[in-house]
This record gives sequence, structure tokens and C-alpha cells, in this order.
Amino acid sequence: MEQGISTFAPAMIATWSLVAVSLLALGTLAYSAIRRRTRQVDLKREMEAFQAPDVEAFRNLVDPAEEDYLRDQLPPARFRSLKRQRTWAALVYTREVGRAARALTMVGHAQKRSADPAIQATGVQYADDALRLRLGAVQASFCLAAEFVLPGLRTRTVLALIDRYRQSAETLLQPGRSAGMEMPGSKGA
Amino acid sequence: MNSHWVLLFFVWILPHLLLGVLAVFLWRRGLYREVPCFFVYVCYEIAEFCLLFALRLIPSVTNQQYRYAYYATLAFSVVLRFGVIEEVFRDLLREAHVVQVAMRRSLRIVQGTLLIAGILFAVYAPGDNSVSFVTGVSVVNRGLAMAQSGFLLFLIFLCSFLGLSWRRLVFGIALGLGVIASVDLGIFAVRAALSSSAWVPYLDLIRTVTYLTCVSTWIAYVAAPEHAAAPLTTISNEELKVWNKEFQRLLRP
Repeated sequence: MEQGISTFAPAMIATWSLVAVSLLALGTLAYSAIRRRTRQVDLKREMEAFQAPDVEAFRNLVDPAEEDYLRDQLPPARFRSLKRQRTWAALVYTREVGRAARALTMVGHAQKRSADPAIQATGVQYADDALRLRLGAVQASFCLAAEFVLPGLRTRTVLALIDRYRQSAETLLQPGRSAGMEMPGSKGA
Repeated sequence: MNSHWVLLFFVWILPHLLLGVLAVFLWRRGLYREVPCFFVYVCYEIAEFCLLFALRLIPSVTNQQYRYAYYATLAFSVVLRFGVIEEVFRDLLREAHVVQVAMRRSLRIVQGTLLIAGILFAVYAPGDNSVSFVTGVSVVNRGLAMAQSGFLLFLIFLCSFLGLSWRRLVFGIALGLGVIASVDLGIFAVRAALSSSAWVPYLDLIRTVTYLTCVSTWIAYVAAPEHAAAPLTTISNEELKVWNKEFQRLLRP
């Protein structure tokens, strides 16, 4: 009898765990379907998200020259502590850049569905640039996380991300690009 | 024949009639060219139903023979579902061609991990220890449903994370398939654990009602037109100037 109970319990725990996983999956699917139906790409908000990161402050946090200076001036323990704080702040900036890139991807994908070929072409460009930026942000986050754990480590991925962010901004500012920002119903840019 | 069996027959026949409607929609709109594997899956499900329904009506066919036929057709259906998932994945890759290699690699890793987890779960997870055919099939299906459900959820998560947009049709297919796989996971887990057959009709009812819901969802997504224009909020000239000014500030601080 006791043996029966001891084998029955793990079996039922595993079964009901799978049932719970199944219900959770159903909930996630329902949520994504509802969100997809109700969500609209708010261009203004997405643009605000792209404006948010302060690039210069971000660059300063991961500047190798600045880091060398701090390393020379501070005792090792103090340097490690400060490096961790700076890395954490850089991680927050990276997350913001990632969010901004995601916002731009959504704008780009929405534009790709436009009937106007010019807006479509702009959308393709935005979406591609933003997607590269988003992946760069993911990669940079991993590198920064490694630097946070091992403060002596130095990677150049974050600087590359900042440069890519600048390039994306430059692409958006090219003459004629802003024409693509005109959305159906707007009065003209 | 009691009311439960009438209900079961109704929810068994109706989704397949709706699948016929779906197949016609896919054919007439030329969508079978965009999602050929899904079209084959729909046609296969209809043919499978015709075969099983005929077997059910033939008096000389025993319950065991019917069961073997059911599980044999189910096995091919599960394989086709993997094909449909692959089709959904390929469609998403088309949207994200700049990150194709990275996405393909990460998704292959997830797919492999989920399949291994499903197989390990099938082999080592506790459950009914009898080596009956039905339990064995339930255990295998549980693992496969876990892999399919997990893979589709990962795709949804990845698209949300990267900000990728799904085409309406492809999202509908993924949604329906995800619901079927998730419900299958729960049902086959219960079936593999419980040796009593008293629950089977109720579990079958849940499965067929889910299937009916999913087929209706597919029809809704196939019948509705793809958005022609982008659903973007209008931006004024002034706002555009502010936007450009902010970029100038970023570039020339």
C-alpha cells in the first residue's frame, strides 16, 4: 500500500505539472492573440522610444580610455566596484537601445505593409537596420554581463553597438528618408 | 446511443466539415501555394476522418482494429504538423532575412533540445507502468506535443522579442496548431498516467471541442483579408521636426 502511494505520488505530480504547463501555454497563446488584435503601432511613441537613449553618456560608460584612467588611479578593489557600477549602468543603456531598436523594427514592419512603394522601401530598410541593432544589443548585453562578473574583462562589442546605433540614426536622417515617415492620413512632412 | 455519444459524433463530424470549407478557401484564394504543407495537412485530416468514420460504421471492424488505424493515422498527422511548423518558421525567416543564420541556428538548438526533452520525458517520466499499446502511444504523443507546443511558444516569444511581425495567415496557423499541441500535451499526459478508461470519452470530448475551436480560428484567419495598409498612427509635421531635431542632437552633441 505504502509502495503504491510512493509510486503514485510522483506520477501524479508529473502528470499535473504537464497539465499546468499545457494550461500556461494556452494562456500565453490566448494573450498573444488578444495583444495582436488590440495592438496598434503608435509611431509617435515608438519614435520617442528611439530618442530615449543618451548616446554620449552611454559611450562614456564603456570608453576604454576612461576605463584605463580609472584603473590607474584607483586601488583594485575600488576599481572593480566602480567598474561593476558602470557596467550595470551600461547594461541599462543597452536595454534601452534594444527597446528602441525593437520599436523601430515594428515601425519598419508596419511600413512594409503600406500600399505606397516608397514607404514600403523605407520600411524594409528600417526593419533590417533595427533588427541588426536589436541583435547587437543582445550580444552586447551578454558581453556586459560577463564584464559585470569579471570586471577585468574588456570587450569592444558595446562600442560597436553604439556605432551601429549612430549609423541607424544617420540612415534615418538621409535626405528623402523623412518622406517615408509620412503615414497615411498625415498632411505631409 | 446516449446524448454523450451524439454530442461526441457531432463534434467529431463538424470540425472536418469545417476543414472542408477551409480547404476550399485555401484553394480558391490561391493560399495553398503560400502554405503548401498546411494545405496538405488539412486535406490529410479530411481523408483521415473519412477513413476512420467509415471504419467506425463497418460492423466487422473491431475496436482494436479501429484503435490501430486511429494511432497509425495520428502518427502521420503529427509528422505533418512538424512540417507545418517548419513552414511557419520559414515564413518568419522571410520577414527577418538579415538575421536568418542566427535565427536558424538558435531555433534548431531549441527544436533539438525540445525533442530530446520530449524523448527523455517519454522514457523516464513516471506514469502507468503497463506496456499497453495505448499507454505507449500516449507517452510518445505527450513528448511530441511537448516539443511542438514548446517550439511554437518559442517562435511567438522570439518574434515578440525581436519585434518581428507575423503575417495574419501564418499567425492564425501557428495559433491553432499551438492550441492543439498544448491541449494534446495535457490530454496525453493524463492518458499516460491513468490506467482507467472511464476518463477517455471526456478527454476525447475536450480534444474534439479544441479541434473544432482551432479549425474555426483557422477559417477566421484565412477568410479575413491581410491588412493592406499599415495600421500606423498619423504623425504631424511638427512631431516629425522634433524627431529629426532629436536625431541631429544625437549625431552632433
